[in-house]
Amino acid sequence: MKKMEKEESTVMRRILLGATLLALGTLGAARADAEDVKVGVVEGLSGPPAIVDFGESYLQGIKLALEDYKKNGGKAGIELIVYDDEANPQRAVSLVQRLLQNDRVSAVMGTVSSGNVMAFAPLLQRAQVPLIAGPSIATNITTDFIDQKPSYIFRCSMVEKYQIDKMLDWGVKNFDKVGLLHSTTGYGNFAAKAIEEGMKARGQELEAVEAAAPGVSDLTPQMIRLRDAGAGLVLNFHESFELPYRAMPRIGYTPVVAGNWGLSSQKVLDIVGRDAIEGTVMGQALDLSDPDAAAFDKRMREVYGSDYRWPVVAALGYDAGQIMFKAIDQAGSDDPKAIRDAIEAVDGIDAVSATPAKPFSSSDHECLNADDVFLGVWRDGQVVQLN
Amino acid sequence: MLTTFLQILVSGLAMGAIYTLTAKGLFIAHLATHRLNFGQGDFLMIAAFISMSLLLAGLPVILTLLVVLVALGLLGWALERFAIRPLDRLGARGGGAYSWILTTAGAALILQNVAELIWGKSAQYSPPLFSSGRDNVIMIGGVGLFVEEILVLVLSAVVVALFYWLLFRSKWGRAVYAVAFNPEAAALFGVDVKRTVVLVFVAASMLAGVSGVLVGPLVTVHPHMGLIFTIKALAVASIGGFSNPLGVLIGGLLFGVAEAFSNYFDSSFGDLYPLLFILAFLVVRPSGLFGEARKDVR
Repeated sequence: MKKMEKEESTVMRRILLGATLLALGTLGAARADAEDVKVGVVEGLSGPPAIVDFGESYLQGIKLALEDYKKNGGKAGIELIVYDDEANPQRAVSLVQRLLQNDRVSAVMGTVSSGNVMAFAPLLQRAQVPLIAGPSIATNITTDFIDQKPSYIFRCSMVEKYQIDKMLDWGVKNFDKVGLLHSTTGYGNFAAKAIEEGMKARGQELEAVEAAAPGVSDLTPQMIRLRDAGAGLVLNFHESFELPYRAMPRIGYTPVVAGNWGLSSQKVLDIVGRDAIEGTVMGQALDLSDPDAAAFDKRMREVYGSDYRWPVVAALGYDAGQIMFKAIDQAGSDDPKAIRDAIEAVDGIDAVSATPAKPFSSSDHECLNADDVFLGVWRDGQVVQLN
Repeated sequence: MLTTFLQILVSGLAMGAIYTLTAKGLFIAHLATHRLNFGQGDFLMIAAFISMSLLLAGLPVILTLLVVLVALGLLGWALERFAIRPLDRLGARGGGAYSWILTTAGAALILQNVAELIWGKSAQYSPPLFSSGRDNVIMIGGVGLFVEEILVLVLSAVVVALFYWLLFRSKWGRAVYAVAFNPEAAALFGVDVKRTVVLVFVAASMLAGVSGVLVGPLVTVHPHMGLIFTIKALAVASIGGFSNPLGVLIGGLLFGVAEAFSNYFDSSFGDLYPLLFILAFLVVRPSGLFGEARKDVR
């Protein structure tokens, strides 16, 4: 008797639970109307200093773009849902799943680590929700999807291949011996492979290739190898950009260092020091001598004060935001497919970075072209164009 | 070639000295109680964070070191009092002889999360101890040394010597050995066993404190930096045989140097070779460099 009662109550409980779940499901499924469009933003906002610098700067740009959109009388009520992926791929994937399933966003932007983007981009492509990636730079982020008509993956950021090409063109012309220092992470190994192939294509070879784990504290042995190989130019593709500089004074080695655009961060300047960073070369996509860029730089300084550190990344974030919000406006709904089509067709963008007025086409999902990337160099505590 | 060799040797010795200091804490706790702190590396992390905050606030180095030592001493006391001693009282109900592995590792996880709450999840840079820049190099015979590295080497030598003296010459040292040999007998001879054990954990934790202050400016400081130090300290202590302070010193320096040279010869797997070396070493000599193969190494 007692047992039956118990069973009955379990059945009742199950029915109740089912009903509640159903109700919750319907509530969740009710899409917000066109007035209210949610855009998910995943950025690396904690973790290694360089990652945080990238993530915060890009997000500052997106936020300013949204402010401007509203100020200029944008029709859609756009809401940003911002998550921190801590530069961790598993976390990035689960955050994107949360954006899709719980928050029901119409589009996504982000993130810093290319590995993270590569991990969640297939999810978005499958769910048919558009992504404007950035500030990640791995070459294949958009090219991996461009053949899937239509591709939902766009990007507004530096492209690794472009900056490596520029750097190698310059490197083989100006230096007899080029060495490479890379990290043993996915990013570092990928960059190393691209550089080795690039050197071969230019009929040259790297004089020395050294690697280091992401968490190392001392690169003296590796730098000694590079010095003894006679490398006058050291390509620095380790995420801890500052590490190679530490070992140099103690072994009396003063090569020119060139690397990832991350080297242009204010943080690297603060850690490495003004004298040590002098002459370091990196990929760039924003020329502050351009009046528009200078005006943007001034405005960011006013809005964000000392939190604003990185013009080029903030500018790309701003342009990505401009494109996204204009596309949502033109799509006139929160339908992800309509927004995707609008992103691809968007025109008349007045970009701060070198992004053209009509950035995308069905065969090109990159904001920047190879020609928009140039080399920058640290001179007296500022990054200027290398000539 | 010789200067290259010396340069790598020296930078390896400096890191080795840090490992020695951290491993020393494991060694002393293990010697006295047959237990050790699986969060030793996380104690080091906390020390590095506290010292970074104080240095950034403009406190002089000596004062910073004192504050860190007091804070870490308290932490060591708390660890013994709340994570280890209750297990003795519980006896078999406490989950058997190895429960302290879980409780000390659990304490380490708590510390990591507390550090995330206070200092954030991001990696940070501790200012150098004695200079404004990060390039204060002293050249000795063509070999460049950072002032911090010299300090690490000198201080670890001093601490090792001090410990040697404490263990083998002082009354406290004899008490430690007595407790290690047989707690009941030691108590009968008038040794305050509880106090000795508490002091052992306080001392172990202070050693992590010194390492933390010293290592802060040499590496990036972040809440999860501790584990790798715990692992390396365990490796070093096991080369040393867990029973001889000199063995720990030699083990630590060997490990640091092996690491530096393996980075020189094959940087892609720089971290792998020293650990492989220890694995092989322990197969040949399971009781370590100076450990005696006895049933009970105490």
